[in-house]
Amino acid sequence: MAKSVHMLDSIARVTGTVPYTANLKLPQMLYAKVLRSWLPHARIVHIDTSRAEQMPGVVAVLTAADLNQPGGPTTFYGVQHKDQPIVATDRVRYIGEPVAIIAAESTDIAEAALHEIEVEYKELPAVYDEIQAMQPCAPVLHGDYPDNCFRHARLRHGDIEVGFAAADEIIEEMYFSPTANHVTLEPHVTAAQWQDGKLTIWSATQAPSLVQQVIAELFNLEPEAVRVMVAPLGGGYGGKGHIRLEPMVAALAWKVNGRPVKLTLTRAETFVTVNKHAAAIHIKSGVKRDGTLTARQVTIHWNGGAYADVSPGLVGSGMLRSIGPYRIPAVQVDSYGVYTNLPPAAAFRGAMASQGTWAYESHSDSIAHRLGIEPLAFRLQNLLVDGDAFATGETLHDIHFVECLEAVASGIGWNTPLQKNSGVLKRGRGLAVMMKSTIPNSTSQCRLLLDDDGQVTLFTSTVEMGQGAHTALAQIAAEALGVPVATMNVVGPDTAQNLFDTSTNASRSTFMMGNAIINAATLLKQKLIEAAVPLLEHPPEELSVRNGVVCVTEKPELCFSLTDILRRNQLTSVDALGEFQTRVAGLDPETGQGVSTPHWHQGAGACEVEIDTETGKVAILRYWSAAFAGRVVNPELARLQNDGNVIYGIGPALLEEVIFDNGQIANPNLSDYNIPAFPDIPHNLNSVSLEGESGEFHGIGEMTLPPVAPAIANAIFDALGIRIYDLPITAEKVLRALQNE
Amino acid sequence: MSNATLKVNGKEYRLSFSPHQTLLHVLREELGLVGAREGCGIGICGSCTVLVDGRTISSCLMLAVQAAGHDITTVEGLADDEKLHRVQRAFIDHFGFQCGYCTPGFILSTVALLANHTNPSAEEIREYLSGNLCRCGSYPNILKAVMSLSDSEV
Repeated sequence: MAKSVHMLDSIARVTGTVPYTANLKLPQMLYAKVLRSWLPHARIVHIDTSRAEQMPGVVAVLTAADLNQPGGPTTFYGVQHKDQPIVATDRVRYIGEPVAIIAAESTDIAEAALHEIEVEYKELPAVYDEIQAMQPCAPVLHGDYPDNCFRHARLRHGDIEVGFAAADEIIEEMYFSPTANHVTLEPHVTAAQWQDGKLTIWSATQAPSLVQQVIAELFNLEPEAVRVMVAPLGGGYGGKGHIRLEPMVAALAWKVNGRPVKLTLTRAETFVTVNKHAAAIHIKSGVKRDGTLTARQVTIHWNGGAYADVSPGLVGSGMLRSIGPYRIPAVQVDSYGVYTNLPPAAAFRGAMASQGTWAYESHSDSIAHRLGIEPLAFRLQNLLVDGDAFATGETLHDIHFVECLEAVASGIGWNTPLQKNSGVLKRGRGLAVMMKSTIPNSTSQCRLLLDDDGQVTLFTSTVEMGQGAHTALAQIAAEALGVPVATMNVVGPDTAQNLFDTSTNASRSTFMMGNAIINAATLLKQKLIEAAVPLLEHPPEELSVRNGVVCVTEKPELCFSLTDILRRNQLTSVDALGEFQTRVAGLDPETGQGVSTPHWHQGAGACEVEIDTETGKVAILRYWSAAFAGRVVNPELARLQNDGNVIYGIGPALLEEVIFDNGQIANPNLSDYNIPAFPDIPHNLNSVSLEGESGEFHGIGEMTLPPVAPAIANAIFDALGIRIYDLPITAEKVLRALQNE
Repeated sequence: MSNATLKVNGKEYRLSFSPHQTLLHVLREELGLVGAREGCGIGICGSCTVLVDGRTISSCLMLAVQAAGHDITTVEGLADDEKLHRVQRAFIDHFGFQCGYCTPGFILSTVALLANHTNPSAEEIREYLSGNLCRCGSYPNILKAVMSLSDSEV
């Protein structure tokens, strides 16, 4: 099947006509602006919106006073903990928190009206650091959580004391991964319309089914009363992964009652809407002199910001993603999700694995260095292989860490001599490998429809966000049905006509929706074969579908085209539904033992860097990445994912940090917050997608990202003997570390 | 309100808009030309790139009134009826995009580059396109696409 088909809407992408939600214009549409808190933690004493409401062109102003009214939305939402108000009630918990939202005839009017709202605050003490927030005297954000810890995920495997006692060396380190921002070039944008007790929502979201469910619950409506439509996204990367603007915009639309209203965030606003979790990771390993790991203890504090959002679940994923793909007889992990007076955090491409891998793969090199073992050899000695048990106790299958690592090592010429020194420029090589669970229990459903003109339409709630999912899914459908890809059309998310899908997150779509499509195609083929039985006068078991015809398997010249079969049965179309679900046993909450994921995401990276020792600047000369893809659907699109991950990963590795000054973001713009541009990209960048015998699809949306930062840090260590513990690895940090040598 | 005539993609439009409106705003909201997009709003990301008299301009930083009397080209003006411009074709052929939000900006910057340098080297292309950001990371394929149009391609 593997074929590099061009993205189905390629022409729209180069002519500027992709119908992004950012372009949406509806008749009678109003424009929204949000009044945001300028204090990190404060009690709201009084809000006066009367002057704003009287301004010409202002249609509605929504505050918490409008919530919890008959027929309207309730106040709080949240995917796992309902702790987040649609707009602040009696308290604000971070700078940028929505306090009021205005609908007006134009953005200019809405913006001007913001200045006419008076809010009186009484400031409260605030806390920003995830470790300080759990100290006994820290200000408390939510009364239900007096230590600010909204989730403590635990893993207890083997006897940790015995493991450390058996070690010849104990290596203990602390790593930091700061807040970063997704920087989707299309910002968060949502429109909503409330008409006759029904809501229609147009949103740039990765999770249409979830938005429908959460909004319906918030308004106490049947899910069918909420219609969610999602156009292709101008980037997602997890930032649009769950619930974002939808509650606020839906509530405003309800207050407007009739006309649609649209909210488009400014770049600065996206920085106070959702970020990557900052994490402080303490990692301690016991190891024998021969390189055998005996024990590992990891303690992570995840900065969740002011509201839990999807963090309670992610903190559990982060627990699994902080251990590393190594055989370790005793493992103990404590993963804490912590409230602070910062904007909420959520999944960020390579979710929770990037932070964990940063720590355990930098740590791998520290261990190897202490023992005097070559870093690749140390990893190969300890890497998990098929049939091993992970720290959860579950047996691993389809495991390819060794192949991933060997592919990247060979790619950069790991074993060839390295010219380390040329005056002020020094070179080094580094590598890293990563292991990531996917969503344990999820569901994808779809519909395939064959028309009598031979066109096949796939109705799917998978969101196209640039990853090429609709193209890959069309290829899977075409192959499963035995029709050319050119006959395929894809209808994207619209809850009024498409079936459920958990979300377009966690690199799950090719695997989950792909299998749902294969199941739908199997049913559709059965229906076509049954319809062909009277025409071909053979029993169904003697018929098969291939190349757009149903034929007698033994006599392929006896056949009818799919369109003929429909016409001769007086059918204008025939359809079939498909579903695919994963259900795993789950983990014991006290011990983290059990089964955590249907399969494992696996990736590796290796690089050669050159450091200017006079400036500290790091240049990546060559970078190779590898992902275990299981089965590749579209090689060019797969390569774009692998290379795109590496490029995306260079940001948090070398450039990106959201800088807070007492809770205020100091760099909420693309001038002060730099993302990778052409000059930052290695000239020699390559990737491989490994396939497995089982032929099972594995997502590749994230696998080559988490190794980027530790591979670079390990290469810097190789070149200079300095270890960087906190991201991003800026020239200043490298220079300072060199001066401290 | 300001009255001005804007010449966009060879057609003249008599328009009325507030004097503080950016060219980007007028293109998108008044003319429905949505190929130019706001990414950063401060002239860094290149998503709003258009050509003004053949030169690349961040339309988020130019006031619409300043564009009066100049030739403005947006991505919508590149294809000749149904026939794509060769830069658009090259971006498709080389898989030079993912989400596509930045793509019109990259394409217009490439058009401007090739108008002045018929055979740019890889290094010149990287340098010239350093004012366009692609968050999905399609840079290697964008480079291949542009190289394929350079006379210096070997």
